[in-house]
Formats: sequence, C-alpha cells, structure tokens
Amino acid sequence: MSLELGKKILEEAVKKGASYADVRIGEILDEHHTVKKGVPEKISLLQTRGFGVRVIVNGAWGFASSIELTGKEAKETAHKAVSIALASSKLKKKDVVLTPIRTRKDKYSTPIKKDPFKIPLNEKIEILTDAERTIAKQSPLIKSSSAFFRAIRENKLFMSTEGAEISQQITWCGGGIVGIAIRNGEVQRRSYPSSFEGNFATSGYEFFESLALIDHSKQTGQEAVHLLDAEKCPSTETDVILTGEQLELQIHESCGHPTELDRALGTEADYAGTSFLTHDKLGKLRYGSEHVNLVADATVLGGLGTFGYDDEGVPSKQVFLIKEGMFVGYQTSRETAAELGLKESSGGMRADSPLTLPLIRMTNINLLPGDWKAEEIIEDTKSGILMSVNKSWSIDDKRLNFQFGTEIAWKIEKGSKGNMIKNPTYTGITPTFWKACDAVSKDDWKMWGTPNCGKGVPPQIIYVGHGCGTARFKKVRVGLMG
Amino acid sequence: MRGERTMTEPLLSIAEKVVKLAIKEKIDQAQATTFLCDKALTRYANSQIHQNVASKTGGVAIKVVIDKRIGTLRVNTLEEKQTQEAVKQATKIAEVSPPNKDFKSLPEPEKWSPIEGAFDKETATCSPEYRAERVRELISLAHSKSKIVKAVAGSFSTDLITFAVANSLGVSAWANVSLASMKATVISETGGSEGFGSAEQYSRRVKDIDPVEIAEQATEKSVKSVRPQKIPVGNYEVVLSPRAVGTFLSYLGEIGFSATPYQDGESFVKYHLNERVFDEKLSVKDDAHDPQTLYALPIDDEGIPKKAMRLIDKGVVSEQSICYNSLTAGKENKRSTGHAVPPVIPYYPYDVPVPINILASPGDASVDEMIAETKRGIFVTSFHYTNPVDPTKTVLTGLTRDGTFLIEKGEISKPVMNLRYTDSMLSALKEIQLIGKRLERVGETTVPAMKLKNLRFTGVTEY
Repeated sequence: MSLELGKKILEEAVKKGASYADVRIGEILDEHHTVKKGVPEKISLLQTRGFGVRVIVNGAWGFASSIELTGKEAKETAHKAVSIALASSKLKKKDVVLTPIRTRKDKYSTPIKKDPFKIPLNEKIEILTDAERTIAKQSPLIKSSSAFFRAIRENKLFMSTEGAEISQQITWCGGGIVGIAIRNGEVQRRSYPSSFEGNFATSGYEFFESLALIDHSKQTGQEAVHLLDAEKCPSTETDVILTGEQLELQIHESCGHPTELDRALGTEADYAGTSFLTHDKLGKLRYGSEHVNLVADATVLGGLGTFGYDDEGVPSKQVFLIKEGMFVGYQTSRETAAELGLKESSGGMRADSPLTLPLIRMTNINLLPGDWKAEEIIEDTKSGILMSVNKSWSIDDKRLNFQFGTEIAWKIEKGSKGNMIKNPTYTGITPTFWKACDAVSKDDWKMWGTPNCGKGVPPQIIYVGHGCGTARFKKVRVGLMG
Repeated sequence: MRGERTMTEPLLSIAEKVVKLAIKEKIDQAQATTFLCDKALTRYANSQIHQNVASKTGGVAIKVVIDKRIGTLRVNTLEEKQTQEAVKQATKIAEVSPPNKDFKSLPEPEKWSPIEGAFDKETATCSPEYRAERVRELISLAHSKSKIVKAVAGSFSTDLITFAVANSLGVSAWANVSLASMKATVISETGGSEGFGSAEQYSRRVKDIDPVEIAEQATEKSVKSVRPQKIPVGNYEVVLSPRAVGTFLSYLGEIGFSATPYQDGESFVKYHLNERVFDEKLSVKDDAHDPQTLYALPIDDEGIPKKAMRLIDKGVVSEQSICYNSLTAGKENKRSTGHAVPPVIPYYPYDVPVPINILASPGDASVDEMIAETKRGIFVTSFHYTNPVDPTKTVLTGLTRDGTFLIEKGEISKPVMNLRYTDSMLSALKEIQLIGKRLERVGETTVPAMKLKNLRFTGVTEY
C-alpha cells in the first residue's frame, strides 16, 4: 500500500479546497469455490484493487474512486471528488460536522494460524468433493448437492487530512454444504452449518477445517430426504425456540438494521427504508424483555465483522444497542453521531471495497448469553416448535413486520423434541416478538458469519457477524404457507 | 457509432490479446471478458444531497480450459503487465482444478450486431452539476405541492457500461450501453402520521428522465397516504402498478426461467411443461433488442448474441422458456440462448443464466379503469423485500410500500397500513382481469399495470 500515493491524493484534495479528506487504498482477494453434483462448478479468484477519496468541500461530501493506482489518476480523482462535493454543496441545509477523533498511526491484522491462500487448491476441492458426494450418496431422492469454500483477504490503508495512517489486513474464510431432496415436485433442502453457503469467520484456514464438512454431510443429506415425509407446519400460535442458525438472521434483520443511525435519520429512506427506532425513543423504548441484551461488537475474536479500525479510522469497540430490553444505542458514523450530539462514533463505517463509499454497516451484532442451557429451554417447554437454519426472510422498511422460514423444525411436546416439521414459517412485529423472549441460552453461544448483507445505493455487499445461542419466544404466529 | 467503437476497440483489443497470451500457455480454450464501468450517482435524503459519488471500475475476467479443467480469474485492472500475470494465474488454477465433465466447449462465434440507441453520449458524460440541478428541481416541486411534505429522498444515477468478449474459437464482440435512473421517495406528515409515496424512471438517455413527473407522482401518493387505516388480512383483488408487477416477473425470471434451477429440479417450469399455468392474457418475453428494454446488450458474457425468448406464451410455459449459458446448455446438448450475465450487471451471480430484458405484453386498460372495475380491493404502488418462501411452488412473500390504498366501489377510498403478502405466483397470476396498455421500464423488466382477481395477504404492519 502506497503512503506516497495516499499523501498525494490528500494534498490534491486540500489544494482544491477540501476542509477534510480521507483516502482508502486497498486490495481484496476473493477465492470462491463450489463443487456441485460431482463437478467443480466454480473455481474462482477475484482480485479488486483501487482507491477511493472522500472529501468535504463547502460543508458537503464528495467521493470518487478509481482502479488506476497512478499519480495522474490520483490527482484527477481527487479533483473529481472535490467537484462532486461542490455540486453537493449547492443543495445542502447545513454543513457536515464530524465527531472528534484521536488520530492514529497503527497496524492491525486478523490473527490466523493457516493462511487460506497458501493451502493448495486440490486440498480444498478434495474436501468439497468428498462432502458433496457423501450427501449425494444418501438417497436417489437427493437431486442436487453442493459444497462451498470461500476466503477473503482485504489489505487496506486509511489516511486522512487529520493525520491518520492505518493499515489493516483482514482475512476470513469458511464454507458449507447443502443437499436438496426432490420427490414429485416437492423440494426440501438442508444446509450445514448454516444457509448462505455455510459459516464464516475472521480466521485462517483452521476455521474451514473446524467445520468438518465431510463428517456432517451424511446427516445433512438424510435430513433433506426425511423432510419430504415430515409433517406440515401447523398454522397456529405457539412458543417458538430458535437455534443460533436462525436466531442470527432474526437479530440481523430486526435489531441490526433498525439500530443503524443513518436509517433512523432518514438517509436510506429511498431504498432500504427507515427505522421504527427513531431517536426520540433512545433510552425510552422497551424493545425486548429483560433477557435481551444486544451489542455491536467489532472486537470479538473470530467475528466476521471484527477488525481493528473502521473505514473512518475509528478503533473497534463494543457498544450496547439493547440493554436489559431497553433501546439504548445506535450504530453510527462520525457524521451521524455528531448529528445526534453523541461524543463519538460507534465505529461502524465500512465500504465493501476501496472503490465504494463507506456506510454505517453492522460489525458483529450479538445477543449476549443468558442463564439457560439450550437443552433446559427445550425441557422447560410444554408445547412449541424448535426451528433451525434460515430458508426465507422478509421484513418491512421500518423493520417491524417480519416473516421468516427455516429449513427444518421439530415439535416440542412436554419438554422433548418430537416429530420433524417441514416448511416452518413464523411472523411477528419486532418489539412484540423480542418482549416475548423469556429464555436465552449460554452453553451453545457462538459466532455466525453472514457474508451477504446488502445495503446502499449503489448497492454494496458486506460481511457481518452475529453471536448468539438458542432463545425462546412466547406465543408466536407460525405456519404462514396456507 | 464511431464514438462507440472508439471506446470499445481498446477493450476488444485487450480481450483478444489476453486470449492470444493464454493460447501460448498450451491450453485448450480461453475466453476473456474485458469491462469498463464509469458510474456516477447523486443521492439525496431529508431534501438535501448527502451522498455524491463517481467510480471508475473495470478489469478482465479470464476463463482458461485445459482438458475440461476450468480456471476462472477476475482482476480489476486493464494494465498489460497485470493482465499477463492474470493469464498465468488462471492457467495455474485450471491446471490444478479437477475436470468438469459437464463442460462441452466455449461457444463458437455467431453473427451479431450492435443495438442502435444503446449508447447515449450525454448520459455517459453527465455532470454532477446537471444531476444536482434535476434533484433540486424535484425536491422543490415536491415541497411546493403540499405543506405536509416533510422530506424527499432518492437518487439520480448516470452510468456508462462497456464490455468486450473474445475467445480462442474466434468470438469477438462488444457491448456499450448508457443507463440513467432517477428515484424519489416523498415523506409527508400531518398530526404525527406519516405518508409515503415513491416513483422512479429508467432510460438509456438521461434527457428522458423527467424529475417533474417523478415528483408529481411520488408526492401525490405520499400526501394521500397519511393516516393509513389497518384492514384485516385475507384475499383481496389487487391493482398492481408496473413496479409491483416488475417484482413478480423479475423473481419468476430468477427462480423459474433460469436453466440452473430448471436443471436442479427447483424451477416450477420443470413440473408444468406446456401447461397453461398463468392467465391466458399473460405473455412475457425476454428480448434485448426490443427498444423498450433497458439493458440493450446485444451479446452476453460469452459473446453469444442474446436470443429473444418466449418466457410465457399466453399463459403457457415450456422448454422454450428456459434461458441458458453455454455450460448449462451443454448439459442438455443445446445451444446457449445468450443469457450468461456479464460482470457489469449488479445483483446476479455470474455463473447463473438469467433473463434481464423481461417484457410483458401490454393490454388495453388504464389504471383508472382497473380501479373502476374493482368492488373492494387494494392498490399497490410497490413491494418491499420480496423473497421466495418456496421457489418451486413460486411462493413469494413481501410487503407493500410507498402508497397502499383500499379500493371500494370502483374508487380509491382510503390509505391503508402496509400489508404482507404470501402467495404463489401460480395462483396470483392465474386470473389476471385487466392488463395496462402502457409499459414502464422497471430495472430489468418492462411491464404494464395489472389487475389480479386475488392476492393473499397474510400480515399487516403498523404504518
């Protein structure tokens, strides 16, 4: 990463009138492999390089980026950002103000044991092929099976006119498997360890190894087949127990997104939407029961949203969003924090590449462990449904009305796990649902990585994490398929 | 056309050079797709510009085949030295990859021709000042329409997209398109109750975008939608705006008409071949050459000319409805239909063929006539966060957004709180009572309004 190029970009921006400028110069390596139905369907390496410069001129923002890392392009792009900011300033109501920050010169690197980019390709493909073939062998009803590996390495340098010089290397990897059973036009799927191609963590290749895909492929295939004969999800109101593989997305959609301050302030109103958690409710609204403690935490070891500094140079931290059920905090940027009169940013600004503008993005949004063991929650449930692994998801643009479907569920009767249920779905209104949470586990708490969180215009896809175990919710409406 | 060739010739030259380099590496076949995107977007919220960005991206996607072993590599650089290095790396990936027995061959060259009117220089060179002025015009008009307009949000984008494809069998083709879109969401408030309305326009030419019309449509809906009433869930007749129809057809393209879910047994088409599964009035094609479609790409990511497809023919789906790239076509010993998605189109994975030029045939009704024909039903402006619940049964769920109204006795009677639908498209599109005569571009679809006899609403939200 070139400090010289970064300095030149900042100098050019200041020369043209920027009162503040920052630049990110970066390179991303994205290795992505899929073995499907016995063939290596995708063996792919994607390399992204470039820089993006963000400026404030006349109190308004401008941003420009380029893939050409040359002095000439650096100058032209810095000038372009300034001219864009000038155009923005014609339609501003007030000047952009940023919360103060202690500028740092620092380095951060994801701790890894085995570099996933140094592991021979054939070793990875062999694991994927063995796992995928094992699923396929379980039954002729398995019509499709796939196994996935993905690793990303992001090297980035952040510099600002305030004096920041931060270089980071983020590495993450992981993978998963899926089996699809089909009979007479009915399709059932099972994924391990989770949907969206598996589970991912900021870690080395050791995390992929720890998933032990081959060991889990037999059960994955068999469950897909068994689902074809399972009972339909009843249409009723009952207690629902969600395992971490589903609870993570519930947290993501119904807590992660509505606590993003840019949404609450209306700047995502045209696309992703706004938030029911408006700032007048901060510190006053009961979001959930006293068992519900949710944090944004970019410091958790292995979390997919773990890093040293965000893309504004704010050090990683833990921030409470929901404390004992009360709505107490937002995920912010330096600008939105200042707008709300907060002393500092939560450190949640990230861009999906050096070529795109940082936005407020989730880091790791975690439901803190409760007092229960997962098994105790089941034993304590007289009648209900245990749901696991996300299959479908949808939530309104203020993040109130949600509906999720999971791959698999089981009846809970008199404290025991009973018959398997297929096509389970549940729905609710966010605060009503979280207020009905009466048990949160501690023994099966772990980090789940979601590599595909979309937000923004133009759209960006970023990787975020969610820590959680199992939780129970009382009187939930289930069975929406009719 | 000279301007277009000036921009595409260097890209094509790099693609051909990359293929020649690859051939020297003792490979069987090679393909290179070079691309360049110059995109700019002005985004506004709370009636002021808050994001204003420009990005220049580009690169080359290389596919190398050695004895059915395929290596793919995408780098976002067009510099000679780095592309040379990328060729070597793609070759190494192919060398260590296991063979893909489904692979038959990269495509042979086919005759193609550029699409007239795909590229507009004014759009490609649109300035931030021009976008800011149009945004100012839109915001001012929205506020002038009503005192209860609280805030206006949206975006105005102008993009230039160019790509070129060459392969070792002689494919040599290019595409060069300009795109412009403007969207607005108007938020009104009175007595503590908010109303929302939105409108959007897409064109290949920036000068076609009319901020006045967008402001008027979005503001009217927003102002009328304050103080929404909660209505019971259940089955309702619906009048869907083109944007709402676009959501349905776009999802059908992805989960139904792509060869990937079809071959996996997850597409509904597989189980309903040659059946009239939709209303007889519904005919839908995919045709990049139709002047009404947005993405005027004459070729796909493999340089194959895009074929016009009959996705739904008078309500009937068939084998002719399925869109292929060369890999999926090879599995069935068919020819590709030209639906490999180039890396310049957002959202879609590049290895899954999908239709991106979906056009529904117009009918003869106006939206006013549809409303007049509705005894009790719901008018839907757009859907939000739609996702498949059961793709094979075409069950989708999502919520209404930005202007949802109850229709009673042939008239819009009141705004209603947003509703969640959960329904199979095989059921919802089975009885289409009226189809609009005017087509609108909505992203990858070009569609009319429609009146459906029934849509199943399963939930209601609180605004």
